[in-house]
Amino acid sequence: MSDQYAQFEAYARGELAPPARTALAAALAANPALALEYAEFLELTDTLRAAGQRRATRRTLRGLHAAMRSEAAVAAAITAPNPAASETLRRDVDALARPEAQPLLRISGTEKRLRRLWSGYRATVGVAASVAVLAVFATLLGLEWWRAAKTAPALAGYQAMRREINTLKRNQKALSRSISQLDPAAAPALPVNNGKFSGTGFALTADGYLVTSYHVIQGADSLLIEGRDRQRFHAETVYSDVAHDLAILRIKDRHFAGFGRLPYTFKSGEADLGERVYTLGYPREDVVYGEGALSARSGFEGDTAFYQVSIPVNPGNSGGPLLDERGNLIGVVSGRQNDVQGAGFATKSSYLVRLVDSLDSAQPVAPYHLPRANQLAGTGRSQQLKKLQDYVFVVKVFE
Amino acid sequence: MSSLPAPSSLTISTTTPDDEALLAAIRAGDERALSRLYRQHWPMVSHFILQNSGSDDDAQDVYQEGVRVFYEKVRDGSLELSCQIKTYLYAVCRRIWLKRLTNKSRFGVRLLDEEDYQALPQTGAEDDLQAAEEQERRFELMNQALQRLGEPCRSLLEGFYLLEKSMQELTDDFGYTNADNAKTQKYKCLLRLKKLFFNEYNN
Repeated sequence: MSDQYAQFEAYARGELAPPARTALAAALAANPALALEYAEFLELTDTLRAAGQRRATRRTLRGLHAAMRSEAAVAAAITAPNPAASETLRRDVDALARPEAQPLLRISGTEKRLRRLWSGYRATVGVAASVAVLAVFATLLGLEWWRAAKTAPALAGYQAMRREINTLKRNQKALSRSISQLDPAAAPALPVNNGKFSGTGFALTADGYLVTSYHVIQGADSLLIEGRDRQRFHAETVYSDVAHDLAILRIKDRHFAGFGRLPYTFKSGEADLGERVYTLGYPREDVVYGEGALSARSGFEGDTAFYQVSIPVNPGNSGGPLLDERGNLIGVVSGRQNDVQGAGFATKSSYLVRLVDSLDSAQPVAPYHLPRANQLAGTGRSQQLKKLQDYVFVVKVFE
Repeated sequence: MSSLPAPSSLTISTTTPDDEALLAAIRAGDERALSRLYRQHWPMVSHFILQNSGSDDDAQDVYQEGVRVFYEKVRDGSLELSCQIKTYLYAVCRRIWLKRLTNKSRFGVRLLDEEDYQALPQTGAEDDLQAAEEQERRFELMNQALQRLGEPCRSLLEGFYLLEKSMQELTDDFGYTNADNAKTQKYKCLLRLKKLFFNEYNN
């Protein structure tokens, strides 16, 4: 058998003498088993050689890499201006040039692990971070939109007239006032919480019911009613009618003794086009009078529950009373149209009267006694206002 | 993350004159040419691996394997280069790294590539790599067979076939009385190796 291999090898190398070679060639052609043996022999030796070659190639490449590394380090050392640094570098280069070159940097195990983690999960971390940032902003934006959609009625061009109170400005004013007093004995001014929104409201009955617009008290935690004489009462919502933008409040303070006789009456029918109308409201700290005419018997986008009036209304006017010349209450101021000059809207008093009637028939805690006698008719406007202003209040809303 | 340097030169094109000269030199066994080739393309591959969550060691490993595949094909004369050497090497190394990452990762792997990756499937790198891996398996089996063969057979065969020592040298090294004796011993060893190797290989 080993003779056969010797023959194979000589044959493969072409070292076999001519007669033996032709004999072997003939035998290989004639005997398939022998041919297979020869093929296997060739494969074996070829594989052996190729494996050896691959090992050699690997070694060469490793050598090339080390050489390249050390050259780069030498180049760096040459460009390094500091002689001491270049000396250490040269030493490092020598270390590198050795076949089992170790990396230059000495890194602790933890740091190495951290570096590996970072390089491995860099992309994932980046994606996670951007998703987190996106999620945060999406949530914030979404919340803001949701709030806006919830608080504002979804009517383009229509603006409800409740006033957002600028607490900062008022605090500053209070502060400068207390400083200007320069009285060391003066007690430090407590920060006054003035609420977040304000509107106007007016008395409905003598015993503590009030009317304002629904959107004024929307989302309220607590309500504070403040009169012209700075007297304050706590109030609670008794009923709110979203469709007609009406809210009935009731004063819940124990020491509240009643408003006294109301000077105006509520008109249950409809007012006529062109009637002179006016309102009192609190678009700012002081009570403000507004006058105009009833310009249409329907409101925004033809809503027949509202009048259109040509009174300039401002944030804070909402919930104010709308009266005609004879002192009949004909509406509750609700809002204005943004893109139209001088178009204010007020809920018709007939809806208010009907609402009160239905509430009264449902056995309320305190019965509703709507005023029956009108004390305003026939007096001048300023006389009317003098009587009226005690029954018009600021409604402050706390959220 | 930024793209790799010099992406414009990675478009597919026939080999440049420079490449041709380099190939001829490498085929002729010029080690300096190989060295130049090695240095030339190292930054590209290194950058690619580092970009794709590999370490410097990984880069070295992958690059050496890639260059080895290329080099062996060149030495065989079986390389059919339809693109630049640079493109070919990039394709091979990319393939190797993709494979390693896929083995390592539970999730699908996406590599950050250069813009002109469309050119890569036509380089033939895939097939060459597969052939090289098949060969690698054979070599692994051969190494195992050599290990099991034991001494002195292993050293004798390695000396003759791998280190290409003459029979006379081997006779002296292993202390045989004469060259014929050593030859007989060698053939016996070869026979045993054949049994070990083909037993494994055919399974």
